[in-house]
Amino acid sequence: MTVDSYRFVDRITRRVLKAWEARGSYREIPWTPLTKPLAECTVAAVSTAGLALETDEPFDQESERQNPWWGDPSFRVIPRDATEKEVRSWHLHGNAANVKEDLNCVFPLAGLRELERRGEIGRSASRHYSFMGYILEPTALLSESTPEMIRLMREDAVDAVLLVPY
Amino acid sequence: MEEARLATTTLSTMPALTGSVGVPRLAGIGYPTGLPLGRPGDTLGQLAVLRAALATLESIQEPGTRIDLPFEWPDGVKVRTHPKEPPPIVGLLKRKPWLLPRFAAGKVPDS
Repeated sequence: MTVDSYRFVDRITRRVLKAWEARGSYREIPWTPLTKPLAECTVAAVSTAGLALETDEPFDQESERQNPWWGDPSFRVIPRDATEKEVRSWHLHGNAANVKEDLNCVFPLAGLRELERRGEIGRSASRHYSFMGYILEPTALLSESTPEMIRLMREDAVDAVLLVPY
Repeated sequence: MEEARLATTTLSTMPALTGSVGVPRLAGIGYPTGLPLGRPGDTLGQLAVLRAALATLESIQEPGTRIDLPFEWPDGVKVRTHPKEPPPIVGLLKRKPWLLPRFAAGKVPDS
């Protein structure tokens, strides 16, 4: 089967997203092979749902309201045992109520713990990550936030990462 | 991330768009944007999607490969995915529709 990428969006959004798709990428695709079975890998997840612990600093919604071309390029650490009770989505483009009802529809922390328990992955990393998924100008995202996240992942001996765009 | 020796895969509700930026492994899913793993409360369904997405870490051997996962969004199931207040950019483009081509081209104005 082939997924229709734009089935659930309106006509104008579809037009914009298709234009973005057509811009494409001209770099060589980076590649690291998985060097051991998934059952031995430490796995981390990354969501762009703008998730933060309720006790952590929120993503900056107000600056995006002031300048709609801008998105907060920072990221947050979410511990492996976090649940929807402790986490909130600050993304201005989605329905935060779904995340509050069930974090795992965007960020599978419970699922990773379950797969760890069943021995299907080695372990769920101690730290997972979230960004805001509306960054039109990615300089700070790429030069500051992402390298710092990678540093933390290496500290935790992460082998494999599941990226989950929101 | 791959350059830092981290093997990645991406679970995307818009695989055509995600694939266009050149991700190494891509699992497409025909679910609404905002619900990549499934409906709130559908624990078993979410687990099946997670397992299938992670399996692409082992099954994909060629950079840039896309595998669309065999999950269908059930007919008639509606989950609200839009925010209560429209995103700021939507408000701006309604007020100034002539900016739409600029937005589509990804040309961010200098602040």
